[in-house]
This record gives sequence, C-alpha cells and structure tokens, in this order.
Amino acid sequence: MTPRLPRAIDQGLANCHVCGKVSPLVAHRCPRCGSALHLRKPASLKRTVALLLAAAALYLPANMLPVMTISEIGNVMASTILQGMVEFWRREAYPIAIVIFVASILIPIVKIVALVWLCAAASGKVHPSPRILGRIYWFTELLGRWSMVDIFVVSILVALVQFGAYMTVTPGPGALAFAGVVVLTMFAAMSFDPRLLWDRLEILEASENPHSTPDRE
Amino acid sequence: MACHFCDTLHEATAVPERTAARCRRCGVVLYQNRPASLVRVTAFSLAALILMGIVNLFPFLTMEANGIKTELSLYRASRELMREGSTTIGWCVAVFTIFAPLVMAGGMLYVCGPLLRGRAAPGARHVARWLGHAEPWNMIEVFLLGVLVSLMKLGKMADLYFGVGFWAFAALMVCMAAAVAGIDRNELWDRLEVAAE
Repeated sequence: MTPRLPRAIDQGLANCHVCGKVSPLVAHRCPRCGSALHLRKPASLKRTVALLLAAAALYLPANMLPVMTISEIGNVMASTILQGMVEFWRREAYPIAIVIFVASILIPIVKIVALVWLCAAASGKVHPSPRILGRIYWFTELLGRWSMVDIFVVSILVALVQFGAYMTVTPGPGALAFAGVVVLTMFAAMSFDPRLLWDRLEILEASENPHSTPDRE
Repeated sequence: MACHFCDTLHEATAVPERTAARCRRCGVVLYQNRPASLVRVTAFSLAALILMGIVNLFPFLTMEANGIKTELSLYRASRELMREGSTTIGWCVAVFTIFAPLVMAGGMLYVCGPLLRGRAAPGARHVARWLGHAEPWNMIEVFLLGVLVSLMKLGKMADLYFGVGFWAFAALMVCMAAAVAGIDRNELWDRLEVAAE
C-alpha cells in the first residue's frame, strides 16, 4: 500500500477557496485575501443537488419551447433549439449542426448526469474513483459555458434581423429556460467540492483495512 | 500549500520557469511558474481594455436586406433583447459579454500594473477576489462562436459586412485569453501578499 499522504483537513488546516492559502481553520477568515475559511465548500452536496434539480426541471421547457420566433412577410415561425439544428442538417451544414447539437443538447444533459453521478459518488452510493471522476468534473466545469452559444445566437439575430414587416426575429420563452439551465448547471458545478470524492475514498480504505494504522511521514 | 482537488498537503518550493508543480496524489497542477508573468498580464489586459473601446465604438456586423440596414454591436445585442421583453436574458448577455470581460481586464490591470513596481494598489485584495468570481462568466469566445453560427443562419437571406468592431473583438478574445493564462493564481496572491507588507 502506498503511504498515506497528509491532508490539510487532518491538521485542522483550511485551503482558502479564493486565493489558495492554507491557514488554520480557527482563524475564520483568510489572512491573505479576507475570504471566509471552510474545510470543505459549505453544504456542497445539498447545494449541488438543489441546483441540479432546478436545472433538470427547466431542461424540458428549454428544449420544447421556441427560443425565437421568426416573422417573415406574414408567416410566423417559432423555432426550438432542436429545429434550429435540424434546419442546419437539412441545408447540409453538418459541422454547424454538430456544434449546435453538442453545445446545446448534449453538454447540458451530460453535465446534469455527470454531476448527479459525482454527488452519488461523494455521498458513498457508488464507488468514488476520484481519478476518473475528478477528470469528469474538470470537463463539466470547462465545457459548461459553451452551451450559452444558442442564447448568443438568439441575441444576435434579434438585434440584426429587424426589417419591420419584411422579417423580424423576436426572442421566445424557451430562451429564458435554456439560459436558466446553463447558469444553474454552472453554479451546480461550482458548488460541488471534488475533495469530497477523496474523503470518501479515505473512509472506504480505512474500513477495508481496520487494523492497519495509517502511517504518516 | 494544499491541493484544491484532493486536499493533500505539500511543501511549496520554487519550480523552474515554464514548468508546473503537480499534486503527488491526484496529479493536478498545483502552481505554475510563467515567464514574465506580470509584464504579460499588464500588457495584454491593457490591450484588451483598448480593444473593448474599439469594439463598442465601431460597428460589429452590418446587415442589409430590402434596402434597410441594421447594425450589430455588443451593446445592441443585449439591449434589443431587453426591449423585446426578455429583460433577464438581456442582462445575462450583457454580463457575459460586457461586464465580466471589463471586470477581468480592468481588474488585472489595476492589480498587476502597480505590482510591476512592487506596490499593491489600494483595495487590490478586493479587486483580486472579484477577478476569481468574474472569470467563469467571461464568455467572449462563446459569443464569437455565436456570431459564426448566426452568419451561417443568415448567409442566404441578406448581405452582411464585417465592421472594424468584429476584428477588434477577435483580437480581444486572444488578448483576454493571454492575460488570463499569463499568471498563476497563487503567484498573483503571493506577490500581492509580499507587496502589501
């Protein structure tokens, strides 16, 4: 077995979330940047799960309701995110169709599933494989922002396509729900604490070898 | 220092330029030593601020259809949404494309500029904290992708012209990325701590 490496939490030391300085928890506030000190992000799992539930509730309206309405010489056409993608596919603009599919449909759902899995692992319901799950966490944090692209497309089209009776684009109710999904999943990813996965692994290893005393250098 | 990913304690030692220290347990990067970090951040954030001015002064995209001309700018992209009744999304777009980048570039310049001379600007601690909060919400590169997707959507409907603002925006994206990547968070706070004493 590899020797156990010392953790900050074992020595009552808190790693500042904002500036990364390690100080004793009893100080309450980080001496370097003045932020509140915590051993772990406060109520990390509860907050993440609550935000995820809210995001999941908005996921269906975000994809069913139109994100924008295009009025063209008397014709009014509402367009959802999926229809926008299908439209590109039909016009044989495959790369753009794939970009929209990945950014707007795949990433939000993958993110929600991944964070649910991470929460289950951190609370001990599935095995915490911190090395793999940590990488998944890193990806969800990195990719989440790109889902915003469809909201920006709506904002650009609304600003540009204002030709009175000839053609106008107006934002639809789906846009708000969609922006909500993206922002809520971003907050959910931020409130999750990956150190909880390692804590769980520690507990698991300790229960597997109850007689071995952890040796610390 | 402790790993932000798995909480393992490490003795922080200086690493050579262009290299990074990694966690012994989980392997994530703990801190990096970037060459000429303060000079780079100051230069790129100053350039980003100037480019932001250009982006907002000059037209971004001009579209012509049926004899009517419309113009796109960052400001209009969020204001038109608010005018059409989507106030919340309008504000979101404004925060992601205007305010967060402004806080990032202005904040980095305010913190790193005086640090070049070994001084900490008044209130630099608060500004540096704001930098950390603003970073994930700076989405100018995503907005640029949105512009490309919109172009594909509009391609056949009308004549489109790129303005100076568009090229300034592309350059702004590069400068912001370079400024953000220019300095390690730990290094910034270490320097600030030393300068404040």
